[in-house]
Amino acid sequence: MPDNLYLQLVAVFAPLSLLSIGGGQSIVADINQQAVAIHGWVSQQEFVDLFAISRAAPGPGALLTTLIGWKVAGWLGALVASVALFVPSSLLAYVAAVAWSRHNRHPWHAVAERGLAPIATGLILASSFSVLRAASSTWIIWGLALVALGVFIARPKMNPLIVLFGAGLVNVAAGRIF
Amino acid sequence: MHTQSAAKKNAQWVPLVQIIMLFARVGLTSFGGGVSAWIYREVVTERGWLKDEEFLGALTLGQVLPGSNVINVSIYVGYRMRGMVGSVAAVAALLVPPMVVIVLFASVFHRFTQYDVVHRLLEGMAAAAIGMTASVGLRTAKAAIAKQRWPLLMISAVFVAVGVLRWPLVPVAIVAGAMGLLISARTRADA
Repeated sequence: MPDNLYLQLVAVFAPLSLLSIGGGQSIVADINQQAVAIHGWVSQQEFVDLFAISRAAPGPGALLTTLIGWKVAGWLGALVASVALFVPSSLLAYVAAVAWSRHNRHPWHAVAERGLAPIATGLILASSFSVLRAASSTWIIWGLALVALGVFIARPKMNPLIVLFGAGLVNVAAGRIF
Repeated sequence: MHTQSAAKKNAQWVPLVQIIMLFARVGLTSFGGGVSAWIYREVVTERGWLKDEEFLGALTLGQVLPGSNVINVSIYVGYRMRGMVGSVAAVAALLVPPMVVIVLFASVFHRFTQYDVVHRLLEGMAAAAIGMTASVGLRTAKAAIAKQRWPLLMISAVFVAVGVLRWPLVPVAIVAGAMGLLISARTRADA
């Protein structure tokens, strides 16, 4: 294992980048193992805190890696860890995007898109359902999710931030009342 | 050659600054997760840069490739709008602003979470984000079954397998994808 902290970050996160099949969630357990048990970069409690922040903050959940890099070696560590995690899989996705769009005049391309689109829809619905199940399932959380669903169906072009902050404030108020 | 095919389905030419603004905004405001639902809303519903089926096809491919499917679909959208420069712009705009924010956020974390208010605010926002993700799911489901009926069966099967039974996502997506391609090849869209 190299002594240089930056090289260590690259050595941990670059391979995980290509192993993160199915999204960032599939490698959280590995990141935990590497950062806490193997390298001792953060304590288990710190890891849990960083994971919670990466969930709460906006943006892709994969920013957990940015936070660990920052804990290890400051802003440059954050940059190095992020580049190591995002670049290898992104290069692959770029090659796939080029290959996929190259033949988009062919009739089979439209056939393929029509065949693959329902999978994405099923996965979107599945993800909202499993996140809801994993959330602290009080009636207010389910209620807020349902009301937001109704609002977004009735007004698809409404600014989501208004609905999100509204739901947050209702949940704060509910915490005061009950 | 690439730019030619990239410009094929979308005659419109999107300024780079618009791509950057869109992805930076999504990166900074997508509280509570469901980032691909945000990108769908912006790219398909609001601006019509890509057609529903093209976006969802790319999203499915992004799921079975390594890496975050949010980033993979951003690479695709950027590429279709402006080629390689568009891909780099989309991903950088999506990632860099929230990276800066999240580190600043982590620096003040301990003072921050002592307040129950913050926890409840984020929890309520995440609940609404679930509702938004579900609305995108229902909207795309409605579009899918407008022309043909078989996608409803496929959507339900994937939902039950991954959402209810919690089967692993990648094998389900590969098997369902192969079946989807087969059925799609044997049916006519506008029959």
